[in-house]
Amino acid sequence: MNIAKSSVAGTLESSDAQVTIEPAENELDLDIQSSVLNQYGRQIKKVVLDTLANLKVTSGHVYVVDKGALDCTIMARVEGAVYRSINASEEGIDWGALK
Amino acid sequence: MVEYSIEKIYPSDSNNMAKVDALLQRESIRRDTNLDYTCALYDGHHQLVGTGSCYKNTLRCLAIDRHFQGEGLLNQIISHLVEVEQERGLLHLFVYTKATAAEFFKNLGFREITRVDNQLVFLENRPNGFQRYLKQLQSESDLVSSQTSKITSIVMNANPFSLGHQYLVEKAAQENDVVHLFMVSDAQSLIPYGVRKQLIVEGTKQFPNVIYHDTGSYMISSATFPSYFLKDSETVIRTQAKLDIMIFLRIADALDITSRYVGSEPFSRVTSIYNEIMQSVLEKNHVEYRIIPRFEVNNEAISASKIRQTIKNGNLFDIQEWVPSTTYNFFESEEGREIIDLIQKQKNVIHY
Repeated sequence: MNIAKSSVAGTLESSDAQVTIEPAENELDLDIQSSVLNQYGRQIKKVVLDTLANLKVTSGHVYVVDKGALDCTIMARVEGAVYRSINASEEGIDWGALK
Repeated sequence: MVEYSIEKIYPSDSNNMAKVDALLQRESIRRDTNLDYTCALYDGHHQLVGTGSCYKNTLRCLAIDRHFQGEGLLNQIISHLVEVEQERGLLHLFVYTKATAAEFFKNLGFREITRVDNQLVFLENRPNGFQRYLKQLQSESDLVSSQTSKITSIVMNANPFSLGHQYLVEKAAQENDVVHLFMVSDAQSLIPYGVRKQLIVEGTKQFPNVIYHDTGSYMISSATFPSYFLKDSETVIRTQAKLDIMIFLRIADALDITSRYVGSEPFSRVTSIYNEIMQSVLEKNHVEYRIIPRFEVNNEAISASKIRQTIKNGNLFDIQEWVPSTTYNFFESEEGREIIDLIQKQKNVIHY
């Protein structure tokens, strides 16, 4: 999947995460900000990278501002941002395709 | 649990705007003259407890009533404003805020770019936005080698590019090894950036030691210096000018720039205030400030405002003595006629 345009999903409220994704040439880089970075930083990174891999996204600048979100929330926000960046809702989203 | 709600406040809604102003005043926040969106946060009794506004890609005039602080309400306002900006297609956002409030923004994904007088802090919602911009500037500078010693800079709007602009570049190019020419890319000037850039590059082709850069969001932009484009009070101009120059200093550092060339400013008030501040800040930071008297024709300094006014009055032929042939030929072209049309439709073309 190719990131066509910049997009955001999520809010900055407690228990949520805001995920921004921007197109990039040949790199996939990830920046995470979280008040629980020390405890859960690795887990957040894993969830984001796994979700991106499942969506077949290989390049992009990804920024996550985490406010204590659970894995399912982070995954949903990453999906949301990616689908928005390819205007997926106009084409039709394959709900249930992701595990 | 209290349910808070956010509503947009329309500029024509003077009643609610006055309440927003009162809240800002209570919290010692100055209300910006130029805003394009304002929202209000209400508690369960529809009492105004918070507000936030936008101007293009910047968030401004944010305040939460002191009795309601500490409850994560700023969060709600920022999330809402980010959504509003997103709907406009603006994702890279900037904030200007008091030093005391900067921490709140840092918790919401904003990173500090620079601060002024330790009072005003400038932030963006990217971890490395400014650094990436600096890297891009460096990658555009392959003319510079370890041998290059005299590196100077010019920042110009060139609305449009005139003999005056050309003279300034000529002096800088003759007196230095390399000139970093920053072109104001913010879309607010009457003549579109694509055209201004084209005329600048065509009019300076004869100087091989000029490197061209866009200023992007980081210099003389809606984010750093909106009062350059839209009229505002002297205090505001001074503070914004200072911020813009602080950012210039960071750029100068990244590119080993040791001086900046400026044309003398007899006409525009905002530009002359900016130059005054620039002179004092640059000198304090060991960057040379070189002011070059304006190029004159018939004992009169050339002015882009005058050129625009002359075009507006329908006297295109008269600008010939003020602009290089590359600029004049453009205005005679079909694309140029569209720009002339734009100028003539504009009520005021003089830069204040």
